[in-house]
Amino acid sequence: MAEVRLEGVSKYFGRFKALDRVSFTVNPGEFFTLLGPSGCGKTTTLRVIAGFEIPEEGRVYIDGVDVTFKKPYERNTAMVFQNYALWPHMTVFDNVAYGLKVRGYSRDEIRRRVNWALDLLGLKGLENRYPLQLSGGQQQRVALARAIVVEPKVLLLDEPLSNLDARLRIRVREEIVLLQRKLRITAIYVTHDQEEAMSISDRIAVMDRGRIVQIGTPWEVYSNPANLFVATFMGRSNVLDGIIAGREADGLYIVDINGLKLYGTSRESLREGDRVKVVIRNEDAEPLEGDRVQPNVIEGKVVRSSLIGFAIQVKLLLSNGETISVYLRNKTAVNEGERMRVYISPEDVKIYRSLEALAE
Amino acid sequence: MALKLIRRITGALVFQLDTPLTLLLLFSLAVFIAILVMPLITLLARPAIGISMDVVRGLLAYPYVVWPPLGEWIIGVDRGDHKLIILRFKDMGVILNTLAIAFSVTVLATVVGVLVAYVSARYEFPGRALLRILALVPLLYTPFVNAFVAYKIFGDNGILYNTMVWLNLGYALEVTYIAGVIIAQTMMFWPIVYLNTLAALLQIDPSLEEQAENMGARGFKLFRSVTLPLSLPGIAAGAGLVFIFSMEDLAAPIAFKVDRVVSREIVKAIVGSRDIEALSVEVVILAGLLLTSALLWFIAVKHYVSLRHYAMIVRGGRWKPRVAKPGLPMYIAIYLAVFPIVIFSMLPQLGVLVYAFSESWFGVLPSGFTLDHFRELLRDPNVVNGLRNSVVYSTIAITLIVVTSTTIAYIVSRVKVTGVGVLDVLATSPLAIPGLSIALGLVILYSLGPFKDSFLDPFRNPAVLIALAYAVRKGPFTTRAVYAGLQQVHQTLEEAGMNMGASRFRVLFTIVLPLIGLNVMAGAIVSFVYCMTEVSTSIVLGALNPEQAPVTYVIYEYVTAGYGGGAFIHLAAAIVALTMALQILAITISNYILRFRYAFLGV
Repeated sequence: MAEVRLEGVSKYFGRFKALDRVSFTVNPGEFFTLLGPSGCGKTTTLRVIAGFEIPEEGRVYIDGVDVTFKKPYERNTAMVFQNYALWPHMTVFDNVAYGLKVRGYSRDEIRRRVNWALDLLGLKGLENRYPLQLSGGQQQRVALARAIVVEPKVLLLDEPLSNLDARLRIRVREEIVLLQRKLRITAIYVTHDQEEAMSISDRIAVMDRGRIVQIGTPWEVYSNPANLFVATFMGRSNVLDGIIAGREADGLYIVDINGLKLYGTSRESLREGDRVKVVIRNEDAEPLEGDRVQPNVIEGKVVRSSLIGFAIQVKLLLSNGETISVYLRNKTAVNEGERMRVYISPEDVKIYRSLEALAE
Repeated sequence: MALKLIRRITGALVFQLDTPLTLLLLFSLAVFIAILVMPLITLLARPAIGISMDVVRGLLAYPYVVWPPLGEWIIGVDRGDHKLIILRFKDMGVILNTLAIAFSVTVLATVVGVLVAYVSARYEFPGRALLRILALVPLLYTPFVNAFVAYKIFGDNGILYNTMVWLNLGYALEVTYIAGVIIAQTMMFWPIVYLNTLAALLQIDPSLEEQAENMGARGFKLFRSVTLPLSLPGIAAGAGLVFIFSMEDLAAPIAFKVDRVVSREIVKAIVGSRDIEALSVEVVILAGLLLTSALLWFIAVKHYVSLRHYAMIVRGGRWKPRVAKPGLPMYIAIYLAVFPIVIFSMLPQLGVLVYAFSESWFGVLPSGFTLDHFRELLRDPNVVNGLRNSVVYSTIAITLIVVTSTTIAYIVSRVKVTGVGVLDVLATSPLAIPGLSIALGLVILYSLGPFKDSFLDPFRNPAVLIALAYAVRKGPFTTRAVYAGLQQVHQTLEEAGMNMGASRFRVLFTIVLPLIGLNVMAGAIVSFVYCMTEVSTSIVLGALNPEQAPVTYVIYEYVTAGYGGGAFIHLAAAIVALTMALQILAITISNYILRFRYAFLGV
């Protein structure tokens, strides 16, 4: 179990700045995820930790040791590549044994350890197969077995599930977490799938265009997003334009969305007249019966409703001309043309300054 | 500023390569610098010593520039029952002759090459596969003898003349002297344009042509406005190579008795004199001119000769090619024009076989099938010696080639640092740099100053320089094969190895080499065979000490001695026939191993 620490890491590819002063600490034994859209720098960060890229600025520490300029084979990290990178000319056994051979273990010791790893990942009996003879899921496990058998200080996983189909993905990610807990290895995981990240991580670092935008537990990142980017990246949400109309004594803002007035919250300090974006998550709307007038109730006409499995997705046309999507878990049928009222709690009306200030 | 760049490059290099790899890189660089860069610099710099306005004026006068030109363009001779037309063209002096020939050959070869490539790429017809194979026959190296056969066909009292007389056409044609050289070289070199154009055509995204067709462009208009521009880079690459090969070709000028071309002047100067000091400045300048034109062209199209581009071609067309069934006019063109041209161009190679297996061949038809020439070969001490030398040099060369080519291909493929492109250029440029220029540069550099009388001195031991020259000149075939193979080995496979604790060098041996071993082998086979048939340096350096000369020098001697068609030419043909068999074998094996379409892409 090792601690991994990055301080002010910047990486350039030519003139392109891929990483901009990235800093974070991964605690020993933690499952830490780098989350973000394609091109945000999460894989580059992982490769810097692994040693395949040297940063132009900043430092990388593993277990307190400065490894910034150490070669990949001097760091004792183990990476599971997105394409598994299994050597096609070697059997499963030889693939897994490679790292041990390099480390100079005896033949018997190698055999013992490889068998342990294969057993742990349910690959018993496949020792003599070649990678091309395995299914995608099996190849993935061989890659995992190869990584853990060398008992690395840090386990690095680069979108290991992206080549698997949806159901397998969910099953395998559970196995990865269990494995990590059992072996108590520090793990750094890279993905663009926010649901996957929330499901397995102890903490998540959300990245956007080379910068870390927010670090926190899944709960923190989901319910208290630091800026508009994180707010819209996590979960499914509606984004509306509005203007701050005032502020209450208890800290709530009143925001005017094209005629519609709502109470909401913000992490930023805003003034009357500020142009803002208002984020409302699809699942945060509660349908209301009756006509009682109360604040934060939105009324609209149903223009579309469809079942998406666990909920009904309803598109509401509001009085100010805008449409929002809401998920209704109570799956009673909703007809198009109906009028519907939904309540959204002020905590769930998240307000951000319109020109999104990137978190420093 | 520059210091910072150097520091950044060395820093990145040191990080990305380990010590063993860096040493290999330095070794490879040393070989290229010693055998390619330094001699060429010497060649270009030397005239500076002797150059003067007199020299320049001399180069613009007889025999380098002859104006007004001497001789006749065409001669008509009345022979009684028929009229003989001799196509000769005038002598314009060494420099102008060479340039005029090169230009004409390039134009003709391009026209033929593009035509055959277009037909072969865009139309479907019976015999297409055969056409494609036959078109490549002229690319088999058949030093000197093939030009000799061309002379026998077109030249003085040749097969063409005699056939036309026999057919009682009233006219008969002979193509000799400079005109003959042009025809012969066109036949030899158009497949180079064909190959490059074909590769380019197969790479064109069909939707681009379909889009134009959709807007109304058809037939020639489509070809001119879309297809031609898109394939122009490939055509240019091929045409440029033809230009260079024409300028440095010795075979056709020898066969058609043209002395006044640059290639012959250079060889005459070296083979004739034993004294490097006496080497006239003019000759050095000529070799320098050869080199300069080659370099200019190379710089213009270097992208299309680069390793990266080759690897792209070799992976094959990514799309289903657009083929159409030809209409009647096209059918006629294919079977009455294209096929005949292709088959015609094969005649020199076929003629080699005829010479090799016949007792004599004076008239139109040969007489007497015999294997005596082959038996004679093995008894002839010159031939045996030459063959043995060739095998030794070629073996040494491919050992060097395997090491340097793998190193360079690996570094160009994997290491990301500014300046790596230079390695790419170094490794592929020998394809285009005239062998005669390299040869002359080597002779000058290593026979003077500190090298005089050393073991490197070609006047004592040309063997050393010959083997090294082979390694540099014929290396690109292996470099290309290795590079193409590396493209198929995903970088993550190596990263995974390093991640598991293996140094880059260990990764190279345990992971990369097992995966590209076949490519290395296939490339080495092709390189070996081309070493065995190398001409330029073999002749120039071999002449300095015939005991150490390779077999191509022996062929040259026999051909120049066998002007009248005596036994020497049959012997030479027999040797060449052997090398033809060797080449076909090597190419077949190599293609089979790699399943590449253009594994032996000699150009």
